[in-house]
Amino acid sequence: MRRLELWRSTAFRMAVSFAVLFVLTFVISGFVMYQVMRADLSHSLDETAKETFSVVAATYDGSDLEDLIATVKSHTKLTSPHERLFSLSGPDGSHLAGNFTGMDVPEGYSVIGDIPGVQADGTYRAYSGAVGANRLTVALSYSQTERLEEIVLTGFIWATLIVAALAVAGGAAIASRIQRRLDAIATTMGDVSQGRLGARIPLLGNGDDIDGVSTQVNEALDRLSALVEGMRQVSSDIAHDLKTPLNRLQIILEAAEYGSSNGEDITGQLVEARAESRQINDTFEALLRIAQIEAGARKARFAEVDLDAIVNSIAEIYTDVAEDSGMSLLARRTLQGPGGLVHGDAELLTQMFANLVENALRHCPAGTKIELSVRREGDRVTASVADDGPGIPPEEHENVFRRLYRIEKSRSTPGSGLGLSLVRAIADLHGATIRLEDRRPGLGVEATFSASRGGHS
Amino acid sequence: MRLLIVEDDQRTADYIVRGLTEAGHICDCLSDGHDGLFAATRDNYDVIVADRMIKGLDGLSMVKAARAAGVATPVLFLTAVAGIDDRVEGLEAGGDDYLVKPFAFSELLARINALGRRPPAQEQRSILRVADLEMDLIRRRVIRQGQAIDLQPREFKLLEMLMQSEGRVITRTMLLERVWDFNFDPKTSVVETHISRLRAKIDKPFETPLLHTVRNIGYSLHAPA
Repeated sequence: MRRLELWRSTAFRMAVSFAVLFVLTFVISGFVMYQVMRADLSHSLDETAKETFSVVAATYDGSDLEDLIATVKSHTKLTSPHERLFSLSGPDGSHLAGNFTGMDVPEGYSVIGDIPGVQADGTYRAYSGAVGANRLTVALSYSQTERLEEIVLTGFIWATLIVAALAVAGGAAIASRIQRRLDAIATTMGDVSQGRLGARIPLLGNGDDIDGVSTQVNEALDRLSALVEGMRQVSSDIAHDLKTPLNRLQIILEAAEYGSSNGEDITGQLVEARAESRQINDTFEALLRIAQIEAGARKARFAEVDLDAIVNSIAEIYTDVAEDSGMSLLARRTLQGPGGLVHGDAELLTQMFANLVENALRHCPAGTKIELSVRREGDRVTASVADDGPGIPPEEHENVFRRLYRIEKSRSTPGSGLGLSLVRAIADLHGATIRLEDRRPGLGVEATFSASRGGHS
Repeated sequence: MRLLIVEDDQRTADYIVRGLTEAGHICDCLSDGHDGLFAATRDNYDVIVADRMIKGLDGLSMVKAARAAGVATPVLFLTAVAGIDDRVEGLEAGGDDYLVKPFAFSELLARINALGRRPPAQEQRSILRVADLEMDLIRRRVIRQGQAIDLQPREFKLLEMLMQSEGRVITRTMLLERVWDFNFDPKTSVVETHISRLRAKIDKPFETPLLHTVRNIGYSLHAPA
């Protein structure tokens, strides 16, 4: 089983492939080297044969055959017939000196074997030529060359075996090292899929490619676990925030049940119960809406919309509402023409500014002035909703965008704590930045969009 | 009116059918999309109320198929699918209105009434009249008892809708959708404020009020009974 797994591993397959390639290269280069060496050896054997022939032949000065015979005899005596053979024959073919005779050796180089009268077997390289009227043949045994070749071949085979063994062992070692690291990644991912989101891939710290991939996976896991943690937080917030109205609802219904059994009129309690259930549903709906906006599918419906027109329509809708609450709402029109065009969703942007205005209406006392404006700076369009009410302390500026977050003092006023989260979600969808500004007194909310290209004036 | 209800949650279906029957409508109730499609193409209903997630054929496909088969009956989608895109999808598939669960029964009833008695498109009138109140849609003028009344554009649109639905209850949500283009519920009294402004202009100076508040439900414009 384990072997099967090893063979499946990419690293091991790669190591084996490289080992095979390596050994193959080694064998081919060895074979070439061996051939070159053999050619060189046979060449030098030829040289030696010719040289010996010349040395012996030099003793003959054209008349004194005895000297030549003596030289051949002494050479014959001095060297083993296993290494060198000499033969000197007269013009009539008669044997004059040397270890062998009667052979019909052609002039020049030749290979001879099975020489009669010679104990040694094997083949010889012969050089034969005329010395005066006589014939001198020098033959050198191949045995030396053959032994050398044998040594080289044996060495080469051993070397090949060692190289192959090392290549396979080294490959397996590297493969198992890589395999261990891949296994570590697999184990970590297995842990994560089991729900242990804290698991991270161990790093070697050498900055290699596996470390690089592991770092990226770890970063993705960090982000994932932060998101999951955020969702867990929101879910528990939701549960907590819905528990209070659900509890109230239950109390109201219990009271109604009791009242009804005593024959009392319970219409008031039923109206209350309806209001509570409506509140619960509103919270749910707002959460769903935020989730859907954050999912981003809405982007497909984006079109050119006039931010200036949207803000002014909001101003028009809420002017009377503000007046009824003893406040005043004013839209400052500074833009002319298409300067306020942005790429977006008119319905969502309307809701965004409605939420901001309603936020001001709900949290400000009578007498507050609310001002809406849209301005163009370069390729940015900024819409702002500003009031001179009590404002929000600067340290709370980031918090108010969090889901279900409510500043302590606003807990008593109605609202789900989701209005500004929705504003943030819509701004994010549009790639707009939201900035809260402490106007002392009052709060300014600025949303800055990139102007759409058609809006260049 | 004769209504077709396609809803597969038995309790919701019972509740709707009971309420609508009490309101004087005749209801056929089915729980399967294929049956619904068959009934819609076979019988002549005044309004079809369709849940989006039902057995067999889903509500959206059912309405698409019915429209393709030439059924012109107004359709109200009734659904827990409250996505901002889902409403658009429902209307694109051939729905005429969209109501999200959980809903108030009065809201459903008001919307069914509005759908069922919608005047045919060719019968566009240029002058609307309710009792002694008159609206000229072309000259954008409102006159009551010979007196011209000056209305803001939004107030004009609000009054126009109420006059066109004379005698019927229009809910707060319906007004928000159709007069303000708000597909969300504002937390402040947008509707109430504008209604009270409108009332101050068309009713206060005169003896008989025409604009009536229907408690917890909406508003209705009609001559005194």
